[in-house]
Amino acid sequence: MNLSPEDITAILLSLKIAVTATLLSLPIGFATAWLMVFRHFRVKVLLEVLINLPLTLPPVVIGYFLLLFFGRNGWGGAMLRAAGVEFIFTWKAAVVASATVGFPLLVRSIRLGMESIDRQLLQASRSLGASWYDTLFTVVLPLSLRGMIAGSSLMFARSLGEFGATIIVAGNIPGVTQTIPLAIYDYASSPTGTSMALSLCGVSVALSVIILLLHEVIGKQLETRREA
Amino acid sequence: MKTMKQFLRSIAAVLGFLMLTNMQAMAANVYVSAAASLKEALNEMVDKYAITHPGVTIQKNFGASGALAGQIEQGAPADIFISASTEWIDYLMNKTLLDAKTRTDFAYNELVFAGRTTKKAGGMKDLVKLNKIAIGSPKSVPAGVYAMESMKNAGVDQNLAAKLVMAKDVRECLTYAEIGEVDGAFVYRTDAMQAKKAKILFVVPEKLHSRVVYPMALSLSGAINGDAKAFFVWMMKSSDAKSILKKYGFILM
Repeated sequence: MNLSPEDITAILLSLKIAVTATLLSLPIGFATAWLMVFRHFRVKVLLEVLINLPLTLPPVVIGYFLLLFFGRNGWGGAMLRAAGVEFIFTWKAAVVASATVGFPLLVRSIRLGMESIDRQLLQASRSLGASWYDTLFTVVLPLSLRGMIAGSSLMFARSLGEFGATIIVAGNIPGVTQTIPLAIYDYASSPTGTSMALSLCGVSVALSVIILLLHEVIGKQLETRREA
Repeated sequence: MKTMKQFLRSIAAVLGFLMLTNMQAMAANVYVSAAASLKEALNEMVDKYAITHPGVTIQKNFGASGALAGQIEQGAPADIFISASTEWIDYLMNKTLLDAKTRTDFAYNELVFAGRTTKKAGGMKDLVKLNKIAIGSPKSVPAGVYAMESMKNAGVDQNLAAKLVMAKDVRECLTYAEIGEVDGAFVYRTDAMQAKKAKILFVVPEKLHSRVVYPMALSLSGAINGDAKAFFVWMMKSSDAKSILKKYGFILM
């Protein structure tokens, strides 16, 4: 292993960005999944496409849209500037980029969890006098926990690997916005950076394997509990 | 059945087309890997050369000099390599991937600081008051190395460390300044001349960094390719090539 202090910063920064993106997306992801599973409305197909779009769009496209929107001449950028918030080329931009790209994975998993909830339970809670939000928080939320954990872990892993959108909106500032993939890219563009790049690749592989293992173990545990 | 036949026919057509375009690529080819800052000048030279040498196709590959050196080391096709610093040409010379006898200095350039900022930026000392500065990643971009040298020698490198946005080549650096997402960028004078919105805010004093030079050489494959040699000599000697370099702001030898 051949990690410079700059690389350690990149690893910590990646974790910070992925955690923030995932935590911020959880409530929105939960609400979106609930809308898709339990509500019927007209533009549902449209919303479905919109949510899943980041799965198939090149991340560079997402990054570029974000840059146009939050940049100097975009509306978002104007609003943020009015509020005195600096956004482009900061770690906040990296969080938004990761959140956008990882969001569909989160919503998919939560939806799967919600769809498996026995509808009779919901009807029972309602007929016993629970209001819709009581049902939401005491029945739907606990029963979607598995989906939320599964979705969060996938989204977290995806966020750790985010490159295309991040390099456009957050730039490549060592110690400030340079995450693991960006640091690898930096090393890989120089023929003398091979061993440094490989060390970070190793860290990247290790993190991904750990998260996917956790994802499997938690999934299995919840499954056996359900069968019991 | 009919649709199947049509389908097969269209596949055959596509394959035929691919083979045809491939055949074209087989005609006399010269591969040039050149520093990103040479883009417009070299493009014009190639267009000019094509008029008198219709049988030769010059394939251009622009990028950070370090990235190009990496590609050549990994076996990418390259007959001519033009670097924006001695570092990467030395690197490939040491690996004996270039023909040392053909090494020539092609042109000189100047390092400038360009941007759209309205804040005061008249010299190196003013940079500490700026918010974001773009430089080429020093790991592979010579313009970034010259910029780091200058910041170090001006004694401002410590204060600027967290403000530096690393670009993959000097042109990306210029783009950052051009769209105004950074206050300014370290680029070459010739790049800044290509900018539409960004202006040269100051010329970095030459004593702060090593001289910006473009050394070039033929690769081992280029040394045995007559067309590559001819183009190499034309770039070095012809008055057409010289006037194009001058037009784009490069300093001649």
